[in-house]
This record gives sequence, C-alpha cells and structure tokens, in this order.
Amino acid sequence: MDEIRNEIMKIEESAEKLKSLAGDNNAIKKNASIILTFIYILKFITPAAD
Amino acid sequence: MNEFWNKYTETLPREKLDAIEFSYFKTLFSYGKSNSNLYKEKLKGIELEDIKTFDDIKKVPFTYKEELRKWQENVEPFPYGGLLGIDIQEVSSFRQTSGTTGRPVYVPESYESWQWRIESWCHILWMAGFRPWHRVFLPFGYNVYVAFWEAHYAAEKIGCEVVPGGALDTKGRVNKIIELKANALAGTPTYLLNIAQEAVSMGIDPKSLGIERAIGAGEPLPEATLKRIEKTYGCKMYDHIGSTETCGFASMCKEQKGLHIIEPFFLLEMLDRETLSKEVEVGEQGVIVITPLGRRSFPVIRFNTNDVAIKGPDACGCGRTSKKLMEIVGRVDDISKIRGVLFSPKTVEQFIRADFPEIVEYELVVAREDIMDNILLRIEVDPSLSKEAAEQVGKRAGEEHKIKTNLSCKVKVEPPGTLPRYDLKAKRYKDMRGGH
Repeated sequence: MDEIRNEIMKIEESAEKLKSLAGDNNAIKKNASIILTFIYILKFITPAAD
Repeated sequence: MNEFWNKYTETLPREKLDAIEFSYFKTLFSYGKSNSNLYKEKLKGIELEDIKTFDDIKKVPFTYKEELRKWQENVEPFPYGGLLGIDIQEVSSFRQTSGTTGRPVYVPESYESWQWRIESWCHILWMAGFRPWHRVFLPFGYNVYVAFWEAHYAAEKIGCEVVPGGALDTKGRVNKIIELKANALAGTPTYLLNIAQEAVSMGIDPKSLGIERAIGAGEPLPEATLKRIEKTYGCKMYDHIGSTETCGFASMCKEQKGLHIIEPFFLLEMLDRETLSKEVEVGEQGVIVITPLGRRSFPVIRFNTNDVAIKGPDACGCGRTSKKLMEIVGRVDDISKIRGVLFSPKTVEQFIRADFPEIVEYELVVAREDIMDNILLRIEVDPSLSKEAAEQVGKRAGEEHKIKTNLSCKVKVEPPGTLPRYDLKAKRYKDMRGGH
C-alpha cells in the first residue's frame, strides 16, 4: 500500500502543477481539479493503518 | 473478478478500522467547526484536544434531523443555510429529503462530495453482486430525491451499463426491460413488486424478464419481502440502508445475513434506546448513529437516524471485517404502543409478504375512537379471486395479525386499484392518533 500511496502523492503534485500552469485555460484548470477530486477519494480509500 | 470492491479496507482488522475512523472523525470535527455554521455553534466548548480517545467521541452532541431543518429555514445562503460546508459556488448538485416527516432538508453536494458518495455506493453494488456484465434498469423518476441517482453513477463507475428508466409509466418500464433485456434492477421493494404485478397484468411472467439481481432502497426490506421479490422474479435480492443526509451506509453481501457498514466511509455507533450513551452488545437492539467521515459539502456529525437495528457480529462468511447490522427493526417513531402493546408495522409487512401472496397491496391505519385505539388493515387482493375468496383472505389476515402482534384489527377488503401505489417511499402505516 505504501507504493500506491507514493504514486497518489506524485499524481497530486502533477495535478497541482498542471492547475498552476493552466493560467486562464478553464478546461485544463477544471480537468486538473477533477484529478484532484479523485486524489481526495484515492487518499480516503488507502489510509495508513499503522 | 474478486469478491471485494476494495479488498484493502474491507478486510482490515477491527482495531485498524477503529484507528482510521477515529482519525477521520477528528479531521471532520475540525473541518465542521471551521466551515459549517451549524457546527461552529454546536461544537462551541468542545475542542479537538478534548477528543483523545475513541470514547471521547461521545462528548460530541448528536445531530438531529429537526436541527438540520432549523438551520436551513430562512438562513443564508439560500437554500442550504448553516449546513453548507463549502463555498456555495462549489455546489454542483442539489438533492433533498423526501419530506415524509416534515419540511424537506436541502442537501448540497460538491463534485468531490458526490464522487465520495458514489465511491461508497460502489461498495453497495459490488457487494450485491453487480458486475460489468449487468445491464441495470433504474425505474425511478430522476428528480430532486437522491434515491437511485447514486445507484446510477455507481453502476456506471463499476462498469455496468445503465438504462435510465425515468419518464415512463410502469407498463412502459416493463416493456423497456424486455426490449433491452435488462438483467439487474434497483428500486424500492414496493415498486419492484408493482413492476412484477404490472407484468402479470400484461400476461408476462416476471421470471421471464431475465432479472438476475436487484437491490432495494428507500424502504425497509423485511426478509419475507426480500424472499417474495426473489421468488417473483427468480432473482437474488439485496438490501441496503441510508438516507439523503447520511448517504447509503450499509449493505448486504452474498451471505444475505444483515448489512455491512461501509467502512471507513462511515462511523457507526449503536446506542441503547433508553440513554443513548452505551454501545449495545451483539444481538441487542440499538439506535443507529452515523457519521459520514469524508463528506465536506454537508458535514454531518453523529447523526441520530432514529432507526433501530439489531447489532450483528463483525465476522462474516464473505470475509469482510466491517461492523454489521443484523436486522433493521424500524424507526423509533414507528414503534409505538397501541392499547398498551408495543407495535411495529414491520411485523405486519413480514407476515403479509411471507404468508399472503394473494394480498397485492395493503395499508394500516391506527385511529383513536373515544378512548380506544383501533387498527384497520385495508387490503387489496389478487383481482382474479372471487368475492368470497377475497373475504376469506381478509379473515385469515385478521387472525394472523392477532397472532403476530397480540392486537386485533378490523380488515377491509378494498376494490382493486383503491390503495395508493408508490415508486419511492411507501407510506403504508398511518397513525392518526396525533400526540399519543
């Protein structure tokens, strides 16, 4: 699960970067936000159990 | 395909699930205290530092449906009032409660919260055996009520093909199921039986529709009703429980023995009915208190559902480790005293569905005449029965009512089509006694 969590973090970083690069491009900004929504879900369903 | 939607969370040991849910609870507590006007007010005097152990959760007051109404009436921002947990511009869909018990509660969902809800519902459908090869027919009105919107999106997400069955009458829906060879259904138990009855009136055996499985929502599903639907369609039938305020939070697995809480999406507490302070033991009845742990658009903390259930064991033959509800007994409001006897309308549904296949619809009316509480059981029977046979069914139903509830009742056999039919929540129990 640790490896999965690391990948999720990487996607999150990329999506945040994408959002900041989007400038005034609504489509890119919105789709990056949607990726972040699913990051929220992915984090929620892969909690560390330690 | 494996048995689990999320094998990792569905098979975690109890103590790990508890730890995760405790951590999620604290996050939600802080979030609610900072972002929801309801909880800014309600949680005054309790700080995060006060919640050090799992038991400390009990320091947080319950949330009641009536409060949700109060915090919405004439409170900005319209129409969500003090319940909103996000900026109103983030709200992407509107839902509302049915209003069965009073003014409806308006529920805001953001894209994130909605997806969280859908993910939770994926567990419900997967547990009920819905798979990508199912063509799911959804016979509901696609309106402001949340019922089945979740089923629609969750079925899509798990890979099913979804047929939206809105804007059709029941006959049109039967025809569409046949035309498209739909093999799975989601509906209120009442409406699934209505569809079957309509099919019969069209000269079609419901078994020939090819429905392989179905899931119920919106109403209690006593075992007798479940069996009746299974027998009628020749399918497997599953139950789940939830509400607009809380989301669907528990569901039936292939073992068909009780409902698994969808953990760690929801924190379940089952508290004794008298003091609402002690967790009940396995096999005992308790009031369901539920906290959806990841929904930020509409934070709800320790929602007292007023539903009473029997607590089940954690272990299950399916391998899931989640908490279980063995049986939904009914709503606290529905369990009342009639002539000094505790009465649950569910008992009546149980015996009618199990022992009276001739009864196609029924209604229970309790009214006070002078100082006496009287029960009237109105029934509609299979229209092919003679008047004499119908009266016999009524007589037997009255006798069975006395045996099963310890209460006598009058029975009235109504002409076909007299009693209301429902495609959402059925209202078969009418207590006209006011503040009894």
